[in-house]
Amino acid sequence: MIRVCFLLIFICSTQIIYCQKQVYIKFENTANGKKIAMDETVFTNIFNEQYNISKLKYYISNINFVALYTNKSKNVYLIDASKNDSISITAPKSKIIGIQFQIGIDSLLNCSGAQTGVLDPLNELFWTWNSGYINFKLEGTSTSSTADKQRIEQHIGGYKAPYKTMRKLYLEIPTNYFVKNKTLIIQMDLDKYWKATNEIHIAEKPVIASVGQMASDAADNFLKMFLIKKYD
Amino acid sequence: MIKVVLSFFIFIGLALFLISASKKNYTPKPLPFIIPKGFPVPTKNIFANNKLTEEGFQLGKKLFYDTRLSKDGEVSCESCHQQFASFSTYDHDLSHGVNNSFTNRNAPVLVNLAWMDNMHWDGGINHLEVQPLSPITMPNEMGETLDAVLAKIKADENYRSMFKSAFGDANITTQRMLKAFAQYTGSLVSANSKYDKVKRGEAAFIVPEQKGYEIFKANCNTCHIEPLFTDNSFRNNGISLNRFNDIGRQKITLDKKDSLKFKVPTLRNIGLSLPYMHDGRFGDVEKVIDHYRNLDTNLVNLDPLLKKKIIMTEKEKKQLALFLYTLTDTSFTKNKRFAM
Repeated sequence: MIRVCFLLIFICSTQIIYCQKQVYIKFENTANGKKIAMDETVFTNIFNEQYNISKLKYYISNINFVALYTNKSKNVYLIDASKNDSISITAPKSKIIGIQFQIGIDSLLNCSGAQTGVLDPLNELFWTWNSGYINFKLEGTSTSSTADKQRIEQHIGGYKAPYKTMRKLYLEIPTNYFVKNKTLIIQMDLDKYWKATNEIHIAEKPVIASVGQMASDAADNFLKMFLIKKYD
Repeated sequence: MIKVVLSFFIFIGLALFLISASKKNYTPKPLPFIIPKGFPVPTKNIFANNKLTEEGFQLGKKLFYDTRLSKDGEVSCESCHQQFASFSTYDHDLSHGVNNSFTNRNAPVLVNLAWMDNMHWDGGINHLEVQPLSPITMPNEMGETLDAVLAKIKADENYRSMFKSAFGDANITTQRMLKAFAQYTGSLVSANSKYDKVKRGEAAFIVPEQKGYEIFKANCNTCHIEPLFTDNSFRNNGISLNRFNDIGRQKITLDKKDSLKFKVPTLRNIGLSLPYMHDGRFGDVEKVIDHYRNLDTNLVNLDPLLKKKIIMTEKEKKQLALFLYTLTDTSFTKNKRFAM
């Protein structure tokens, strides 16, 4: 009997291994339809405000593919538009219908003490006077900015109600996508950051650097910023 | 061929030997975290993911006393948290940071931090481990960047060996540094004052102290709950807005109801932690008691527990103060283990 059990466990485990596949998710960071570069490239938002970007970093966490059964694995990735925009992850081999993930860090990780790796405060995404992670950080300059040195600082964070800034997202993936492809490209469209559910005019809010209504309004726009890049 | 096989095995053998040898060197001495008799179990076990060891504690202590962690090399944690003052800044309303700057708030005592849900007068810090990041990086405290602090530590051979003894290898990270800090600061337990000895039946209050204790129980212990002498909450005790427009807890929660709420501080070692309140506006204990005696109970946002007028004679005030001085724990402030 025990032997049969072991055999079953063995078969099941090989099935699980067999059904998993290593895939990549690439976050293509764009503005005005162009790939975002950390240089003097000038972008224009929907309010006709011009800006350039010197820093763009955000956390993506708990990525899980939605298939016949969905793993609920916990994970955290830091996307830095200047360095690292690709994630290697295992996916079920077939029947994937979508992907779910969070933009930002969940509340538990925000209050569990000193973290390391992508959550190391060295990554400049941790507030030291009001403990918690910045989920999304955009810095640059704009002629529309009234702030010192015409800077833009959009530091979107906060994990406590009513000013939570982590957002959960679900995106559909075309059937059998991973049969033909190894890399899923998710476009991060910064144009939507300035206007989707809420509006952010650089002239009015060049700097959002603390927890609050402005930050959670900005976070609402996250939901429209990410989409699966279509082919054919 | 045989030579190749042989050298392969020798190589593997050597590698295994080295691995086991290096593991053998890593034998940190576990330290128990003892909850004093009569103390509650902490709501958050800060050592659950940070095993308390002698090596970790010693490393944390070295970091705590190291002035090199500041930008100009003049300020350490201890500069503002002096052991003889129960780790507050003695006789200073505000403390000094780098470049002769002043802090905006009074340095609180570091006592029984393992029982504290959050740190700072406004509770902005949500875990003991991340606390040091604030004073290290504040321009008017230690004014240094985290990058630079780690670089200085990594360059020091002594630190490298201490990190190795504490964590098994010489890898120096933010996380390890912060965990070592927490091992030291979380170990600062004070539970041996005269009050504690009375509670344990080892000493007795003199009559005015006993009278003061009765007054304390009648007026103060709903917020300053024994034996920690704080309920870890934030309350508006009727204190007026100061010159820094410090609104306290509201800055963290952005809730108007939290205007001028500050953390209820522990009263342990109050006799050594003068001056008092978040900005050190009251120079002695009796002035603090007077604040409560003279409180305008109609103030907006005043904590409901203070709405009842506190009636106390001058004599009773002195008795209350005498009781509060029994919370001084010199075995804590003179404990050599906490000193450099």
